[in-house]
Amino acid sequence: MSDVMNTSLFPPELLRILFTLVCAIVIVFGNAVVMGYLERKLAGRFQRRPGPMEVGWHGILQLAVDGVKLVGKQLIVPKQADKVLYRLAPIISFAPAIMPLVVIPFSPKLQGRDFDVGLLFILAVVAINVLAILVAGWSSNNKYSLLGAMRSVAQNVAYEIPMLLTLLSVILVTGTFSLRGIVEAQSGGAWFIFFMPVAFLIFFAATLAETNRAPFDLPEAESELTAGFMTEFSGMGFSLFFMAEYTYMFIACSLTVILFLGGWSGPPLPYGEYTSALWFFAKVYALLLTMIWIRWTFPRVRFDQLLNFCWKYLVPFSLVHLLVTAVVVKL
Amino acid sequence: MTTMAEKGEHRYVLNMGPQHPSTHGVLRVILEMEGEYVMDPQPVLGYGHRMHEKMAECRSWPNFLPNAARMDYLAALIYNHGYVGVVERLAAIEATPRAEYIRVITSELNRLQSHLLWLGVLVLDLGAFTPIMYTFEDREKILDILEDVTGSRLTYCYMRVGGVVRDIDDKFIERTREYIKWQRSRMPMYDKLVTGNIIFRKRIEEIGEFTPDMARRYGLTGPVLRGTGIPYDIRRAEPYSVYPEFDFDIPTETTGDCMASYLVRVREIEQSLRIIEQALDKLPDGPFMAKVPKKLKLPAGDACYAVESPRGELVYHLTGDGSDTPYRMKIRVPSFSNLSLLPELCSGMLLSDLCACMGSLDLVIPEIDR
Amino acid sequence: MESKDSVIAALKKVSVKVQEVDFRQRGYDLEIMLESGQLRAFAELLRTGNFYLSFISGLHLSTGIEVSYQFANYSFPCRLLAHVAVDADNSLPTIADIFQGANWHERETKDFYGVIFRDHPNLKPLLLAEDMEDLKPLLKKAHSLKDRDALTRVVKNAEGNPPPAVKKEDA
Repeated sequence: MSDVMNTSLFPPELLRILFTLVCAIVIVFGNAVVMGYLERKLAGRFQRRPGPMEVGWHGILQLAVDGVKLVGKQLIVPKQADKVLYRLAPIISFAPAIMPLVVIPFSPKLQGRDFDVGLLFILAVVAINVLAILVAGWSSNNKYSLLGAMRSVAQNVAYEIPMLLTLLSVILVTGTFSLRGIVEAQSGGAWFIFFMPVAFLIFFAATLAETNRAPFDLPEAESELTAGFMTEFSGMGFSLFFMAEYTYMFIACSLTVILFLGGWSGPPLPYGEYTSALWFFAKVYALLLTMIWIRWTFPRVRFDQLLNFCWKYLVPFSLVHLLVTAVVVKL
Repeated sequence: MTTMAEKGEHRYVLNMGPQHPSTHGVLRVILEMEGEYVMDPQPVLGYGHRMHEKMAECRSWPNFLPNAARMDYLAALIYNHGYVGVVERLAAIEATPRAEYIRVITSELNRLQSHLLWLGVLVLDLGAFTPIMYTFEDREKILDILEDVTGSRLTYCYMRVGGVVRDIDDKFIERTREYIKWQRSRMPMYDKLVTGNIIFRKRIEEIGEFTPDMARRYGLTGPVLRGTGIPYDIRRAEPYSVYPEFDFDIPTETTGDCMASYLVRVREIEQSLRIIEQALDKLPDGPFMAKVPKKLKLPAGDACYAVESPRGELVYHLTGDGSDTPYRMKIRVPSFSNLSLLPELCSGMLLSDLCACMGSLDLVIPEIDR
Repeated sequence: MESKDSVIAALKKVSVKVQEVDFRQRGYDLEIMLESGQLRAFAELLRTGNFYLSFISGLHLSTGIEVSYQFANYSFPCRLLAHVAVDADNSLPTIADIFQGANWHERETKDFYGVIFRDHPNLKPLLLAEDMEDLKPLLKKAHSLKDRDALTRVVKNAEGNPPPAVKKEDA
């Protein structure tokens, strides 16, 4: 890095990094706004009510108003809380959410950096979120928060296994961890969802659990644990968790699109090297809408059912799937 | 808790309520937990205590009518019915036939809206948000119908000794018939969306084992009792008003779990619709208010009047002393007895199952606290 | 016990004063006067007879506090109301070990009347706050106390005419 800095004041590499970071932050905030609005509007429609209607046309500015409100609110720190960790937890959750966006290939030319181990990088960075939730639950000094944190850890550890096993199936076929490589392996409509639909289903179920979305939203199960690990957080503390959750959903769906739905591939567009990102976003938001749809339809599972589902069904199925894939690839 | 030290250090106390999303009001439950398992839940009551029984002794009996609506806010008309029933029984007054039919129709509408709210809230307790909005849509129709005739939407003060305040008109009858059709058309949707949902079934099947013996020991009544296979419904067991004139079933289930009481309640919705339909068909003409002395004194003596509230047996026990103020009024509320078995029922359960159990007990806290 | 008559017979066997009353006028079938010594045996009998406890209530009379127990049965219509006068030390034996549901009803009666239920497992305030133990809201002032006779229905003549509680026609 320092060598690059010395050669010129604005080396292209630094510009690229800065530009990527700005884009990532735009995506994070934009996604949170879009998702927040979509979720409320769709939930309203599912429930035969209009959803937000007051601020702007069909309530389109509702999220902006909510954002201002949340920024203006005090972050209340409970008296008995571990104050340093308590303030740190939302940041630990939010900061890593930006990093995976650097390696996600939105289109052939729109990618911050293509690592050889891009997939591993995302998995490693995303795993930090568990730590954030544990820290949040622990530092709040609230039993509901702690229960939520414990649930979250058990759940994330359990569901990472079937997730990684199905990933391995894909990797066995592509032979690369590079996200761009994986997308290119599916060019010409040869999406992996057609060859391994079971893996897609397992992976999608696991991402639901990893992102703590209903019906696997046990860490914040509001009818049991009030709000789980988020119980004590207010103002920006809360909204950072909120944004992080939507960003992790975005990342999880991006991964699903890259691994199984052919990434940016789709009918050709003018300036396809850039504009094919449209296909990528279309697929990602289709998956996100499915997540919203599931959330507003199903009740929550119980904790033992959640773990049973993982250990008794998802893990064995994904193991068998991995074996079959290995045999097929070898042949 | 003194028992903490005796039972080992890994137990901790979780304070659920008085403000908690699934205690439905100001109920507080002190949970002794081991991990996620509830070892000893102890309800703490009294946060909404208003001493209605004392109020009854301090004012003349007509002035208690508004109080009767403020115990169970979901079954105010049925509480109205019980109170005017007990005064009529003690004072040997008979309401007019038309008034009795109107009372039954409005009481059953009241029961329907209570069951609809319960349905939504139970599913909400289990983490599904959408059904409650659907049941509210149905419930809103009932509230609109009742609002037109009673003047209020929740705390009705509609019934009087000898009859009711206002007669129902053709518009009411027409709207109620429309509503019955609408509600019938909605039930298949609830079957698909809620009853048939695999996650929902797994959450409440075999959770909370109510047994007939436990029911006798605790005085359990209402749909939860009928879920254990005992077809005990005051409307049938000790018929009051004009209920004997209607043809309706008492739905029962045999398993005694939360699913059983769920199924019983859902099937009761259809039975209530049947009762209303028959009552509208048979509705007699005539006055809606009997001739009652202006200054009615309660005679010396006592009388009970039991009615079936959406949650079970509601008994007013009124003791009069010849003045217009009751000497003593005892109100037996169903949720009080139903909740008292929580410690026995839920020991050793997961926290999530406790929420499911409390949801299927259909608690109304102001009723318990009175 | 399968019917009201068998209940009466069983109660008479243990020398309990039972009186059959008209359900249409009173809302219950049997009125029972108990001695406090008989209470537990009475409750055990009803427990074996598959009764359930509907409620426990109190009544403050000039002669002292009287506690009423109402039982009913799931299988046949038989609602009975038993009155027990409290002992001299304002206490009664508990029946919370026979009918567990009595636990809360007894605590409530303690709250409202101060009746002590002997051997009750947990006689803490239920509806009232812990610091309101001295407040007994349902105890009446001395001048408004009445005795049992003043609260008993007057039956005019021996032929059993309906009680002339209200002159229905004069309104």
